[in-house]
Amino acid sequence: MNKEQFLNQLKRSLSGVPETEKKDILYDYEEHFRSGMENGQKEEEIARSLGNPRVLGKSYHIESLLDESRGGRRAANVLRALFASLSLGFFNVIITVPVFAGLLAGLIGLWAGAVSLAVTGVAVILAVILQPLLPAFITLGGLSIPFLIFASIGISALGLLSLIGMWKLSQWFFKIAGKYVQFNLRIIKKQEARA
Amino acid sequence: MNVQFKKGVLELCVLVVLCRRDYYGYELVHTISENIDIAEGTIYPLLRRLTKEEYFTTYLRESEEGPSRKYYQITEKGQTYKEDLLLEWTHFVSSVNNIIQKEEVA
Repeated sequence: MNKEQFLNQLKRSLSGVPETEKKDILYDYEEHFRSGMENGQKEEEIARSLGNPRVLGKSYHIESLLDESRGGRRAANVLRALFASLSLGFFNVIITVPVFAGLLAGLIGLWAGAVSLAVTGVAVILAVILQPLLPAFITLGGLSIPFLIFASIGISALGLLSLIGMWKLSQWFFKIAGKYVQFNLRIIKKQEARA
Repeated sequence: MNVQFKKGVLELCVLVVLCRRDYYGYELVHTISENIDIAEGTIYPLLRRLTKEEYFTTYLRESEEGPSRKYYQITEKGQTYKEDLLLEWTHFVSSVNNIIQKEEVA
């Protein structure tokens, strides 16, 4: 068998291997023949020591298939990661989002309560101060002025306290929400790392 | 010698040879086939696989005769892998020798 025959047989047994790879593989043997001939070997001699080109082609074939299955596994992993984050997303939509929305609505309600308490306190003080100036618009409902002053101080203080309390509660709420988002991201990242 | 066994050992031989310096294909094949009787062509699939696994890198360099040659160079990853294989090999050989010696004494 000469160089031409050897390379042709090898080429034929490589059918199915991607074209660029086939070229690369054949290049190695062409170079081997060239170097051998520079060393004074005959084509037939070189072909004989290289071995059966069909057997060689088969061993490349097996490796190319192995590569494909490795690639396939990678794709499956990516798919699994995608699926995991999707199912995480599903869980979030069904359970977490409603729970957080409910809590947020509650929070907003409490804020409204705290704000109205504070506003009420201030309004009562203003009413007491402004009543002599605008008697046509403001009536004190027959309540005594000292009572109203103390009541307004009490209500304002209560409103201020609940505003401070709400501020703390909101900070705490958003911190937990942030932690939950980070926890989600970590899970997704972990899935990606595994893929 | 058993073909599969030879193939496994071949991997170690190629790694050890390339630890010395960079070789081009024909030269490397010859260094090995001088000592081990094997179809020379089987070394190229092996080189290709080990290159894909990043144990070697390749580069082209002009030869004195003219056309360029593909040289194989071992990577750091390849060197670590060679050390591991070598350790395994030494351990394996000494175990086999132990068995042989015990049997001969008995």
